[in-house]
Amino acid sequence: MTDIHRTIDAVWKLESARIIAGLMRIVRDVGLAEELAQDALVAALEQWPAQGVPDNPGAWLTAIAKRRAVDHIRRARLHERKAQAYAREQDQPPEPERDDVLRLMFISCHPVLPTEHRVALTLRVVGGLTTREIARAFLVTEPVVARRIAAAKRVLAEAGVPFALPGADELAGRLSSVLEVIYLIFNEGYSATSGDDLIRPALCLEALRLGRMLAELAPDQAEVHGLVALMEIQASRSAARTGPDGEPIQLHEQNRGRWDQLLIRRGFTALLRARELGGTPGPYVLQAAIAVCHAQARTAEETDWVQIAALYDALARLMPTPIVRLNRAVAVGLARGPQAGLDLVDALRDDPALRDYHLLPGVRGDLLLRLGREPEARAEFERAAALAGNAAESAFLRRRADRIAVPGPETVTLGDSVRAFLARDDLGAETLRSYGQSLGRLCLALGDRVALADLTADQVTRACAAQWTDTSAASWNRHLSAIRSFTAWAATRDLTTGGLAAGDLATGDLVAGGLAAGDLAAGDLAVGGLAAGLARRAVARTRVEPIGGPELERLWARTGLPLRERTLWRLLHESAAGVRVVLSLNVEELDLDDRRARAGAAWVSWRAASARLLGELVAGRTRGPVFLADRRPGPARTPAERDRCPDTGRGRLSYERAEYLFKRATIDLDPAGRGYTLHRLKPR
Amino acid sequence: MRFLMMSKPTDEPADEKLYAEMGKFVEELTAAGILLATGGLEPGGVRVTSSGDEITVIDGPFTEAKEAVAGFALVEVRSREEAIELTRRFRKIVGDGESVIQQVFGP
Repeated sequence: MTDIHRTIDAVWKLESARIIAGLMRIVRDVGLAEELAQDALVAALEQWPAQGVPDNPGAWLTAIAKRRAVDHIRRARLHERKAQAYAREQDQPPEPERDDVLRLMFISCHPVLPTEHRVALTLRVVGGLTTREIARAFLVTEPVVARRIAAAKRVLAEAGVPFALPGADELAGRLSSVLEVIYLIFNEGYSATSGDDLIRPALCLEALRLGRMLAELAPDQAEVHGLVALMEIQASRSAARTGPDGEPIQLHEQNRGRWDQLLIRRGFTALLRARELGGTPGPYVLQAAIAVCHAQARTAEETDWVQIAALYDALARLMPTPIVRLNRAVAVGLARGPQAGLDLVDALRDDPALRDYHLLPGVRGDLLLRLGREPEARAEFERAAALAGNAAESAFLRRRADRIAVPGPETVTLGDSVRAFLARDDLGAETLRSYGQSLGRLCLALGDRVALADLTADQVTRACAAQWTDTSAASWNRHLSAIRSFTAWAATRDLTTGGLAAGDLATGDLVAGGLAAGDLAAGDLAVGGLAAGLARRAVARTRVEPIGGPELERLWARTGLPLRERTLWRLLHESAAGVRVVLSLNVEELDLDDRRARAGAAWVSWRAASARLLGELVAGRTRGPVFLADRRPGPARTPAERDRCPDTGRGRLSYERAEYLFKRATIDLDPAGRGYTLHRLKPR
Repeated sequence: MRFLMMSKPTDEPADEKLYAEMGKFVEELTAAGILLATGGLEPGGVRVTSSGDEITVIDGPFTEAKEAVAGFALVEVRSREEAIELTRRFRKIVGDGESVIQQVFGP
């Protein structure tokens, strides 16, 4: 970028929200308003390098954009004769009003949009960021951001969202949607969820700016000031919260001299404004109050944990999210002792939402360490390190784990034995891969370094329940097979003793495990132990919705389709047989006169339409697959003899290919726009 | 990023109009979340110099008053160009004179 371009960019970022908001007043469509504003920017890019930056660049951009808007309306009136809609606008565009930008924020953060779209659109139209800047900040590609913004504009236009401030009845909901977007932007910058940079300061700054702006525009909303206070104080710690190598420094270890007193003071002021407005404190005011408690303590030891724990109690009542409850456990652990904290943390261990959240084992490790339970603490820190997505944070947690010397004899860890198990050479590659996935997850959930001997069936049950709550029955059973196979193997090697003692093997457990006692070999006894709480799940067949009548009629009416496809589809529809069964049919098995064919132990039968097509398709052939692939297979991929036409050498049509062709052919029929699967050809 | 904008004194006395325009400008920058702190400075002030172990304290005014700072604004912006643009607008309001902007590092 040249100097002049940088200047234009700066002017744009300062002015664009006001320009777009002013245009909204005229054209009432955020997509169009932004386009017109962009036109003005393009004009600036063309003219300013030659003519110099005008005296009042903001007014210049606004004037050009407005002229374009008026032109646009004239054209629209001419072409679409929407005279009434625009009559009141006349040729004099309405004067901008002070709260136009506020209206724009309410629109770009409208709850009708998915959160990610709100974020992208707000940064674009209110923050003045380019698509590229947004993409870089959120570590996604430019087309992704462009799509989100385009989709958001379309949805807003379709929903006919008015350019108005929300009424009293919906204000609370709409406002919290705006606050959510701003805080999300802040957090994305503050705690960069991935990547090596712990802080992406530009996003924090952008969120702060948006929040401060909102506080001026909506000064009578306590939660707005609460959010601003929260962000100001969190931002005040930016410099102190990472070490020289980018590693995170926990709040109580931060050098408080590096906290930005200016921002802290601004945070205090904002919270005071919120308090002056009165009312029951909302979630942002409460969080800000907690942040203020920390900011007021001159040293970590002086922190008023009793007050903070009380604030967290109130916050957890208001929003009992797993994260808030986890933070509350930390505060309680410091205010009322580590055991009290641990009790609260342990109540969260089965929460699937925290399944991969590294701070849960991190906090637990802390509390265990303070209780003098070093080996457990170490295992938790290791688990936390494995879960942390941020490189600096992961390294930090690993160091915490390494600092704890675990005494005692060499123990066999879960991780080591899983690796030994997976190194077996008597399992197929596919099985190993599947087992590897399941057991890898288990290691992540329980801790790689946990001693195998200490593991109990209860722990395994809970870990599995948290890991795989939402999986299908089939996947659940696959995971269960992996665990059973692993424990059976471990038991024969005498690796699992202690925790898998007879106590876990009560008959009740075995029955609960869905295993009949008679099925168990000696080695399986231990398996019953570890997997005792885990029952296989019945695999529910998902109902396949047949293709609708009108769509099917249109499909049959099509011309120009290959004979093979027409035959296959008709046959699937008329016979109601499985796709694999139909594809496995051979010419010699067809009984064309009786309109049926033997497929294994069953019969497949059809009606007139299929009969006619089948006759045509197999004409002249006496043996081999009914449905053949288009091409002869390459020499390296010769199919088995039963899947090959002995006369032509062509292979049997594969399921994947047949499915692909059908999907492609029906993409315009399917209202969902994805194309149908062959299963859906079954009759109604 | 933060910039400190410092303005040097002028001979022109400030009038009503200037105060009103400045007030509006400050309000606007605050509303935009840009202005973090601002203020005017007393002329002269106190000069503290150190040389070896010796500390000298001298009350103003000083002869080189033109080099002194009369007012400051601490702004939080996204680029140097934004800071320049803001200073440009400020200068247009206050008339002839000089401002210096410097990026602030830390704390």
